[in-house]
Amino acid sequence: MRFGWRLRRRLPHVRLFSTVTQGYTDSRWPGWEVVVGLEVHAQIKSRSKLFSNSLTSNPNEPPNTSVSPYDAAFPGTLPKLNPTCVDLTLRTAIALGSQVQRRSAFDRKHYFYADLPAGYQITQHYAPIATGGQLDLETRRTIRIKQIQIEQDTGKSAFDARRRASMIDLNRAGTGLMEIVSEPDMRSPEEAGVYLRTLQAILRSVGSSDGNMEQGSLRCDVNVSVNRVGEPPGTRCEIKNLNSVKFMQVAITCEIFRQIELLEKGEFVQQETRGFDEAAARTFSLRSKEDAPDYRYMPDPNLSPLLLDQSYVDRIRFTMPELPAKTRARLMSKGLTARDADVLMSVDAGREVGFDGQVGEGAVTYFDTVATGRDPKVVVNWITHDLLGQLTARNLTFKQNPVSTQQLADLIDLVQKGLITGTSAKTLLRRMLDQRTNALPSKLAEEMSLLALPADGDTGSSELEQWCREAMDVLPSETAAAKKGNTGVVNKLVGRVMRISRGRVNALKVKEVLESMLRD
Amino acid sequence: MGGGHLSGTKVAIKDNICTKDMPTTCSSEMLRNFTPPFDATVVTLLHNSGAQIIGKTNCDEFGMGSLNIHSIHGPVVNPWKSFSPDDRPRSAGGSSGGSAAAVAAGLCDVSLGTDTGGSVRLPASYCGIVGLKPSYGLLSRWGVVSYSDSLDCVGVLARTVDDVQKVFMTLNHHDLKDPTSLPSSVRAKASNMLSVQTFSRWDGDSSSLSGLRIGIPQEYFPTEMQPSVLHPIRSLLKELRGLGATLVPVSLPSTSYALSAYYVIASAEASSNLARFTGVEYGTYVDPPPGADRTKAAHVYAYSRSKGFGREARKRILLGTYALSADAFDNYFLQAQRIRKLVKCDFDDIFAVPNVLSSFQSQATSQPKVDVLIHPSAIRTAPPLELVSDSLDAYVQDALTVPASLAGLPALSVPAGTADDGWPVGMSVVGQWGCDDLVIRVGEVVHAAAGNN
Repeated sequence: MRFGWRLRRRLPHVRLFSTVTQGYTDSRWPGWEVVVGLEVHAQIKSRSKLFSNSLTSNPNEPPNTSVSPYDAAFPGTLPKLNPTCVDLTLRTAIALGSQVQRRSAFDRKHYFYADLPAGYQITQHYAPIATGGQLDLETRRTIRIKQIQIEQDTGKSAFDARRRASMIDLNRAGTGLMEIVSEPDMRSPEEAGVYLRTLQAILRSVGSSDGNMEQGSLRCDVNVSVNRVGEPPGTRCEIKNLNSVKFMQVAITCEIFRQIELLEKGEFVQQETRGFDEAAARTFSLRSKEDAPDYRYMPDPNLSPLLLDQSYVDRIRFTMPELPAKTRARLMSKGLTARDADVLMSVDAGREVGFDGQVGEGAVTYFDTVATGRDPKVVVNWITHDLLGQLTARNLTFKQNPVSTQQLADLIDLVQKGLITGTSAKTLLRRMLDQRTNALPSKLAEEMSLLALPADGDTGSSELEQWCREAMDVLPSETAAAKKGNTGVVNKLVGRVMRISRGRVNALKVKEVLESMLRD
Repeated sequence: MGGGHLSGTKVAIKDNICTKDMPTTCSSEMLRNFTPPFDATVVTLLHNSGAQIIGKTNCDEFGMGSLNIHSIHGPVVNPWKSFSPDDRPRSAGGSSGGSAAAVAAGLCDVSLGTDTGGSVRLPASYCGIVGLKPSYGLLSRWGVVSYSDSLDCVGVLARTVDDVQKVFMTLNHHDLKDPTSLPSSVRAKASNMLSVQTFSRWDGDSSSLSGLRIGIPQEYFPTEMQPSVLHPIRSLLKELRGLGATLVPVSLPSTSYALSAYYVIASAEASSNLARFTGVEYGTYVDPPPGADRTKAAHVYAYSRSKGFGREARKRILLGTYALSADAFDNYFLQAQRIRKLVKCDFDDIFAVPNVLSSFQSQATSQPKVDVLIHPSAIRTAPPLELVSDSLDAYVQDALTVPASLAGLPALSVPAGTADDGWPVGMSVVGQWGCDDLVIRVGEVVHAAAGNN
């Protein structure tokens, strides 16, 4: 479990954001203010591509195995909009509180590049699908969203130096992307990091993207400018293609220092597009504003405008998976502590995001199922303390958890009804994890003779008394001490009885019986 | 192939329509050795109805031209046998010149062409045959190599209107693979409008045109028109009036701007559509010479594209690229789109049948309403090949055909006799969007009437 970002928000310097926008300065660059905006490209988690029937793929698949004639821009092919991509983008828009546009349209953005076979990318330049919106951060800061647009991903090209040839893989070409553009509302590299992680969690929770930065399904460009406190925002530079939260924060930090250094020397910041060299930890110029290409945007003549009526958008809205903030509130309303809710949710965040909006089953769903008709606090304890603890000890993730919800529910019921002791239940849980059995714990308990003896039944008492006598015989000096009133050693005798009974008896009852026998 | 209602019909296919068992060159060096991995939907439909596809026909490169002279296969010679003393080879018209010539020469019964600004109607007119450009969005464009997506239509050429109609009916289906193909509901709506508005007055009877109102647009007789083509036209109109038709002079005031708007839009879309031809995934690839600048993909592609595209294609790509550039976009591309809207409004103003694709109804005007328009298909008869050049004249050929293309309307060119030089003259029947049936039926009467001349 990673609590990194939860802890970070408690750091005092981040808390300042909630109260300060103007006049705030950072000890790293006193006297300077920083303005950051992000353009995030998130691959839409659809089974097939944006405009063709070929399947979306992951980077591990062999090159050029998921390519249709349309993806390779063969003459005579035409695009066909995959409505699932629209639905998933709408989920994102609704989650971010954006205004879905009744009419949006697709445009062609032209440039020549080896991984763009048509010579243009279809995007939404003139009329994006959603505008406005906001993302509330844990830091109580709000970042405004400018717009969301749908567009095509490109293929990949790599230069093979040995063969002096460009290798082109079109598996990714034509996969749907959501471009989510923020307003320049972030004030530090760390805040950009919190924004990106929060956005990632939202995309995953609504199932619109798996948001996987290592796999490249979430990428971002950042705009950075600096200004002296009290002065208007400075000239911005765009840093392209940042593929991890960590490197994005390092890139922004480097860029801030570069710009401040220029300005302090009395020079100017040129508006330009820059790259980031991870190894050298510095940004470098890719092209200046003057060299900016003319993309010759043109409305796509094959794709009619996308018209969405209110009832369509409402249908998406009402069938949306739960958003993280709502999940947390719901869990806490069931009596869970903030910590328990966070643990469940952070485990849940690691769940698989299904294709076409199928939300995978994660820890929260698991909890909800088991907690139906049971005490939520008891259930969450079993999940967070025992189950997760045992999984971690075995180096298993929650995804690999072999214990079904029925098994855990049965186990908890056995304990709650007093049919097995907590100790036995833990033994059973370990057994289910080790043997990966489908058998219900009630069955296993019977097989393993772990069913507790009734705490107050007659039949059990004689056996219990016999075990107590056995324990007193084995530990004569403790027995003597106990008889003299040393209550502390009674627990040792209780432990012995538990061992003899292999945990099948209730410890309180044992103590009761022991005490009465000791008094005799 | 067996059954099917086109069983035994020999069909030739324009070489910009994809066939998986035959090369599809688009008459371009770029695709000289290209065989597509799939059949166009229209080809599949022909196969399914038992038609025999006999081969592919020459055309202007990617459909860009009006005289079928821009082709790696050489120019198409018009097969018309004239009795005039001038026996110099003449153009078959373009860009579907090969499709028209194959039908006119009797090599096949029917051919498919494509019509972006007149590319079916003009060759039909020059070769003395029938050519239909259907309403935009009726025949599938899946597998048709795009020149200008918003204008491209698959068209049908044959010696008789009946043959054109038979093939048109075979191909007239909604295709999910073509995002611009219109669903059955819209087609049915247009058909209903037509029944209510026109067929209630004229029942389609070929022996009488009583009740039919035919508009004669004044702008379609420009000064560039050869006087000699007017003779057969005049007698034809007289014949139609004799059949009971009401001839109504009408005005389509935006016509004079249509040609420039057409070339801006078509070239802009062409520059975009032809960007894919780089020789990387398919087609002709030319390796840059040693020492060439390979720092940008565009520099590398330049060698393939300079060699692969002919003069006319290069010219239009450059023109279109300029029209879409940031500085020119508003003044050229957007301005052309505005004119396109005006041209559509002109048509909507004069047709009795409302346009089912227009979201708002046209303003009430003083113009009388008509069922169809009739006008010459071209300003002249087929020009001799030795006289054609790259001059502006070549572009004026399309002046009478581009307005219907910009508005997406059905237009049928039928032979209307011969001019003084003994070469055929074509007459175009144009109707409201979705009124292809009406245009075909009127065309049949016009064709018959012209034969009586």
